[in-house]
Amino acid sequence: MDSLGQFEQIVLTAILALEHNAYGVTIHAKVEELSRPRKAARGAVYATLDRMEDKGLISSWLSEPTKERGGRSRRHYRIEKSGEKALRESARTAQRLVETIAQNLGGLAWKPR
Amino acid sequence: MEAALSSPPEWLERMVLLAIPPAARESVAGDLWETYQNPAQYAAEALRTVPFVVVSQMRRNLNPPTLMLQGALIFICLGGPATLLLMPALMLRDAYRAQGRPCPRRAIREAILLSSAAMVLLFFFMSIHPPFPVRGGVDPFTWLSLFLAALFLSPFLCLFRAGLIMQGDRRNPMAASALSREALARAYESFLRGSFCRNVLEGVALAFAAVSGFFFAWNLLLVGLFVLAAVYLLLDTVSGAGMAQDFVSLRAQYQRELARQEQLRRFLRWLWFAPVLVALHARLAGAPSGDSLVVLLNCVAVAILCFLVAALNREHGGRVQEQIGHLDRLRESF
Repeated sequence: MDSLGQFEQIVLTAILALEHNAYGVTIHAKVEELSRPRKAARGAVYATLDRMEDKGLISSWLSEPTKERGGRSRRHYRIEKSGEKALRESARTAQRLVETIAQNLGGLAWKPR
Repeated sequence: MEAALSSPPEWLERMVLLAIPPAARESVAGDLWETYQNPAQYAAEALRTVPFVVVSQMRRNLNPPTLMLQGALIFICLGGPATLLLMPALMLRDAYRAQGRPCPRRAIREAILLSSAAMVLLFFFMSIHPPFPVRGGVDPFTWLSLFLAALFLSPFLCLFRAGLIMQGDRRNPMAASALSREALARAYESFLRGSFCRNVLEGVALAFAAVSGFFFAWNLLLVGLFVLAAVYLLLDTVSGAGMAQDFVSLRAQYQRELARQEQLRRFLRWLWFAPVLVALHARLAGAPSGDSLVVLLNCVAVAILCFLVAALNREHGGRVQEQIGHLDRLRESF
């Protein structure tokens, strides 16, 4: 299994957090919130979603067309089992990083902001 | 999300829609509409977003074996500079691949355009050898025959396109708007079985063609390609991964397999025609200088062959894209 890049981790986490309301606009907003203070281009989010869908980490489908979108459908995303597994693996790695940094930088008092 | 207070100007929206590749148009254009504030913001957001979407679609639709084969054919026939110019154009064309079969009117228009171009070429050659060339041994009767052949080319190409369209119309495997998980699994299984049989048959045919090609002194690179394709097809275990348990995952699996099989078929269609294209090129290269008629006829033959392969790819590829799009909108029934 390929390990996830940082941006892929953020996008997957956004989909996970949004549950049934994960589509382009909401995912982008959540990604911006998670990657503060950095800005994320919406196009980069789309490209990452496409890539992860091709890897089988997420799946997508179209909703019914809505008026507030000019009669167009939303593409909804859902995390797949393999995506969950990859995200858990990334979280474990991040956890190890936090612990190692805490031990070496500021002892037990150090906390990631 | 809040509903958009107003909508983008129609002309601006039309421009943005044209720039977004068809596969992502529905969702990306909808997202841009939903976050619309004013024309400047809309245009700026579209400018920032669309290049990413185009590159992503180029990557998604990229078919490296087909592209390499097309590149090799262009390189052999037209040389290095043409290859460098045409390869990015081919990749961009793939990004903007239509999400369905071409409309019949457009398909017929293409056929008429090609045959008309062949006729214009003939007229051009006739005009530079007035009234009819005697040099090179071409008599007026030959020119007349060629002219009539070009005239009949148009109905032939139109009939070929019409045949493909009718064949596509007959096959409409999934029309329901809602399916149960079990029904979807049955449809997927039947698709897998069909793909497996087709791959085995085509693998055997490719191996047979490679052996024949070896004895008929084909280009060795071409024989090697046939062997590789045959081995790949025969080793390809279509149902390697187990079937997903829930509806959404199974639908995604089905869509991925549809796209994978279509990529494979696109390459194979070009591969089957490659020996003819290489043979035509060899005749072109071996034609005596000044024999413009042979050059002209071979060029027309190459153009017709490329038209036939492209038409097959567009029709079959379009049908697969329609199926993928249909699956996208399919709801689960219980």
